Amino acid sequence: MAPGKKASGRTDTSWNHEYDTLRRENLFRHPPTDRTAYPALQEAVNPHIESFNALFRNDGRPGLIDHALAEIGTKTFLDGDERAAPTGKNKLSVRYKSITLQRSQVPPSNKFAKKREIFPAECRERHVSYRGKLTATFEYQINGGEPVEFVRELGNMPIMIKSNKCHLENNPPALLVERKEESEELGGYFIVNGIEKIIRLLLVNRRNFPLAIIRPSFTNRGPAYTPYGIILRSVRPDETSQTNVLHYLSDGNVTFRFSWRKNEYLIPVMMILKALVETNDREIFEGLVGPPRSKGAENTFLTDRVELLLRTYKVYGLYTKTQTRAYLGEKFRVVLGVSETMSDYEVGTEFLRKIVLVHLGGMDVTEEQDSDKFKMLLFMCRKLYALCAGDCAVDNPDAVQNQEVLLGGFLYGQILKERLEELLAVSLRAALRDYFRRNPTVSFTSASFAKDFPIAIFRRTNENLGNSLEYFLSTGNLQSPTGLDLQQTSGFTVVAEKLNFLRFISHFRMIHRGSFFAQLKTTTVRKLLPESWGFLCPVHTPDGSPCGLLSHMAHKCKIMTDSVDASAVPLLAFELGVVDISSAATSESVVVVLDGRIIGWCTPAECKSIADTFRHMKVEGGHGIPLHLEIGYVPPSKGGSYPGLYMSSQPSRMIRPVKYLPLGKEDFVGPHEQPYMSIACTEPEVVPGDSTHVEFDPTNILSILANMTPFSDFNQSPRNMYQCQMGKQTMGTPASALRHRTDNKMYRIQTGQTPIVRAPLHNTYGFDNFPNGMNAIVAVISYTGYDMDDAMIINKSSHERGWGHGTIYKTKKISLKDDTRTRTAKSIGKMFGFAPNSAVRESTREFLDADGLPYVGRLVREGDLLCAWHTVSADYNGQLINRDGITHWERYKDSEDAFVEEVRIIGSETGNEPLQTVSIKLRIPRAPVIGDKFSSRHGQKGVCSQKWPAIDMPFSESGMQPDTIINPHAFPSRMTIGMFVESLAGKAGALHGLAQDSTPFKFDEENTAGDYFGHQLLKAGYNYHGNEPMYSGITGEEFAADIYIGCVYYQRLRHMVNDKYQVRTTGPVVPTTGQPIKGRKKGGGIRVGEMERDALLAHGTAFLLQDRLLNCSDYSKSWICRECGSFLSVQPTVSPFIGKRKAVNTVRCRNCAKRLDEIEDLDLMKLDGEIWEDGQGVQWIGGENTTTVVVPGALKFLDVELAAMGVKLKYKVDRKDAIRRGPLRHRLL
Amino acid sequence: MSREQYQIPTGGSQQAFGGASGSRDFASESLGVMFYTCGDCAVRVPLEKGAPIRCQKCGARVLYKERTKRMVQFEAR
Repeated sequence: MAPGKKASGRTDTSWNHEYDTLRRENLFRHPPTDRTAYPALQEAVNPHIESFNALFRNDGRPGLIDHALAEIGTKTFLDGDERAAPTGKNKLSVRYKSITLQRSQVPPSNKFAKKREIFPAECRERHVSYRGKLTATFEYQINGGEPVEFVRELGNMPIMIKSNKCHLENNPPALLVERKEESEELGGYFIVNGIEKIIRLLLVNRRNFPLAIIRPSFTNRGPAYTPYGIILRSVRPDETSQTNVLHYLSDGNVTFRFSWRKNEYLIPVMMILKALVETNDREIFEGLVGPPRSKGAENTFLTDRVELLLRTYKVYGLYTKTQTRAYLGEKFRVVLGVSETMSDYEVGTEFLRKIVLVHLGGMDVTEEQDSDKFKMLLFMCRKLYALCAGDCAVDNPDAVQNQEVLLGGFLYGQILKERLEELLAVSLRAALRDYFRRNPTVSFTSASFAKDFPIAIFRRTNENLGNSLEYFLSTGNLQSPTGLDLQQTSGFTVVAEKLNFLRFISHFRMIHRGSFFAQLKTTTVRKLLPESWGFLCPVHTPDGSPCGLLSHMAHKCKIMTDSVDASAVPLLAFELGVVDISSAATSESVVVVLDGRIIGWCTPAECKSIADTFRHMKVEGGHGIPLHLEIGYVPPSKGGSYPGLYMSSQPSRMIRPVKYLPLGKEDFVGPHEQPYMSIACTEPEVVPGDSTHVEFDPTNILSILANMTPFSDFNQSPRNMYQCQMGKQTMGTPASALRHRTDNKMYRIQTGQTPIVRAPLHNTYGFDNFPNGMNAIVAVISYTGYDMDDAMIINKSSHERGWGHGTIYKTKKISLKDDTRTRTAKSIGKMFGFAPNSAVRESTREFLDADGLPYVGRLVREGDLLCAWHTVSADYNGQLINRDGITHWERYKDSEDAFVEEVRIIGSETGNEPLQTVSIKLRIPRAPVIGDKFSSRHGQKGVCSQKWPAIDMPFSESGMQPDTIINPHAFPSRMTIGMFVESLAGKAGALHGLAQDSTPFKFDEENTAGDYFGHQLLKAGYNYHGNEPMYSGITGEEFAADIYIGCVYYQRLRHMVNDKYQVRTTGPVVPTTGQPIKGRKKGGGIRVGEMERDALLAHGTAFLLQDRLLNCSDYSKSWICRECGSFLSVQPTVSPFIGKRKAVNTVRCRNCAKRLDEIEDLDLMKLDGEIWEDGQGVQWIGGENTTTVVVPGALKFLDVELAAMGVKLKYKVDRKDAIRRGPLRHRLL
Repeated sequence: MSREQYQIPTGGSQQAFGGASGSRDFASESLGVMFYTCGDCAVRVPLEKGAPIRCQKCGARVLYKERTKRMVQFEAR
């Protein structure tokens, strides 16, 4: 039996912290044909894939798009004159019957391809998008007659990798490798123009839950508006949402606010209540307050306000449901854009269906659903009044408790739905109007219309939905008329950079709060709240501007992507004592809600027992209560959160596993219920009678990356945050299918190793497939002086053996096609290769092969040729020939030497085009040099300062030398004790050949880590403390102190001096000012700013200052007139005899000179001085007192700018003109 | 970079017909069939200049240029 196979023959998926060298080697050589050995990795990405799969299901249940089509419904159009009344017109009703998305395929016009599928790897290599054909089946009826079906293609829609529309779905590793993917390809992203893009996870308000909010900006809505409000984000079955807000007015009234197509509307809540059901004031009053003689009725605060609410509504004079709906319909007919054939009452019904509490019924709304909406609205009002009265606390919208995750696939589906609706409602309407304008005689019943409608008319709509989805993915911008109930319009997608594997995997676990909050001045949204425990990692967030907004999921946190079956819950609740009658007093009755639908009410005591019973039932299973149901029991409190039992079964919730103590089984808890539960961190912390749950592992709260930091519990917490950042910037192993990748830039470490000190999760997530650093022998010693200030010394011999050697792969795509998006780019204007009959130098032959492309394997330097091309045009029989005989070149422009690794010849999708695109992959070797950045896994980064010769390195008793030396001063202030422990553990592990488990929270005060690893060292014959006597490599003398030396895993960071150094003496300048330009790439300078200037001033280094600010900047010699002190009036004289060769000293001031022909009674004999001529041949005299001065170019620029505004500058050049400061002083003595 | 660069020897395939005619040759003369490797079935695909880019065997649309047969030598430091 090969290692890594279970007895059952299935690939083993259990891992521990051991090396498992043979098992891994076997997995690598023979990728499993049954299943992946690292299921945890796939699990981490699954929310993305499952959310995409929900769009088009293949399990028989309706997908989100099917729900969306039902919600879009039928659109009705009328023919004839637009201004005429609808009577007597023909009626056309169109609807989507179905939408299908095909897998990615070669177009039928390609007759050559044997394999029709297009795999993702090909899209990466060809720099195109991975997409499949989207087709819609429409059904239309004319005047309610026989339905007619037809099919339209809606363009190509990008497909998520490994989704149910991808060829790689459920592929075992062996097949993935065959299809040029990683053996552990995760999917979850899209390929757009060869770039991997993912849709970010966003935090949004929790669905179908009324949030009590106090927001001062609510008062801006109008007079009498108060900061109190209830926000409910209502989500339809197709995952689109509509937010409903209730506002409290200072007089006790309540208005209902919603936003529709980016406009906001306010309606008295009473109008909605009356429109929903046939009701009366008494029913509303009792629904809000409670039955007579209940405790709620004694609440005069409430009764006063409800009375006012009912009284003020009388002004509308609307009493019945029919009246109210008709009234609403009349007002909202234009806003909703409904068909003219609908009556006002029907429009009012449509309004309630589309906008009010859509989660309780958004299609074919029944009376029961309307009554649910009515009850929910009453409950929301009740909570609002409680909030104003101070009986209920504000819900924090920034806490995970009140949030859920907007999944990428769902957002993608929302955009698709909106585009579909837009096509039917707007684009088709315009096309029809256009059609009837051109063919006024045609009506819907004409035969020509039946012929034109599916083809000619649809062609005039913008039906290419695939393109708009591709635009969304490539830019991340949302172009939407409705805004999709979101707070931002851009930044939805990010590139899934494969810099190293840690960074790649982190992209999928990343959750963003929304770019709207990034601009917020307040920091409240960024706070780390205790509610996030176990859901969002407290360590893994970047520092700086996105801190706290961009967090990562804890590694055990999952996101639900499907509803769980909670249909048995209401009945069970009734059996347990839930009733229909309620009172406003929470001491009397509390609400029981399932997915935003009020099941009923019960007493607080009953509520607790129902919650406990449900919890027991759900963990035990078999009672119809699903394990993933969230039972958000909010206990009654004095002025705390509004009590009740809020259950949710719908997707987008975060959940995490914990152990349920009464049964000892796994339970899943959600963020809404967790704050009110007692979950012990470890078994010993269980409090009998209080704790109901216990964590499976204390490390469950950490993200995947934070778990990779060894002994992170020993470190000061910011250091662990830094490590999470640096782990993602490491030059590691981005992929094992490197040959098939064409990323713009990829970093790779050549000598990657598995860490000796690692957590079991390192193996669970298969990180040994993508090594990220090297084990290094590190001595903590202040040795040469070159290790000051976070510098580190590398042993030159280690360096020569390849320690830290890295490579950069750059891919250059050279396309001869115009990048215009137009479809007319069919004609070919350029071809690769030397122009026929043109002379080709022998020297260019050295660079380029006969096809005009570089030799694979060749060294290229700056300015070398990368490829040749020439123009072509078609001759009389369609042959492409070159007419000008000129060969054009593409050159390698970077300054670093590179090697041509691969040259890819890219054909078109149809397989009949000549070569138009090549993609050249270049390899740049990057051996570590002085100035490159390295870091241990404890946020201890340093810059290589010297490669110290091995003979001069210190050595130990046994003759061992360190690979690197770091300074002991790096530790006291940073307190990264974890690094010391890693050093100890690494040393012991290396000596014994062990892999060391570095899971945090394993040691305590009694069983210390130092003792555990110290004893291992003792056994190996080393010092217990990890210190060793060492000898100077230079003198050979023993150091006075023993040196702490051990084995630490080091990462090489991607920040390398070769990408950063910036030198300049002279170079390009800004034309207006003459100062150096900005930017390293363009050979610009580094700014010496105000603060640098201050420092130079303070040091008294005047010459340096002048050199920086003038001589090396905008030094310019300029003529100036000493009389009038102006740069602008001087001009060179023009001699009619000398011509263009001007003498330097003949510059005159035109301002001070006199024009000869303007001097009255001119007497040439009396004139003093030389007569000179300007360019027009005008003769002048005087203005001779000019001189040259050195001034900054910017000063002259300023002078010109000011002159343009009519401000004159006068420079006093002579010393005698200097202004005397202060009074005249008589010298004493 | 003060590396002594390896000078790629002139000649090889060019010498066969170039002879003593000097350091220039004409593009049209050397136009011939180039071989590429199919990205899918790894077959050697001969392609003429201006021919459609696809593997004759499997119709794959990505071809790789073969590694050069000329000597490529770099200083081993």
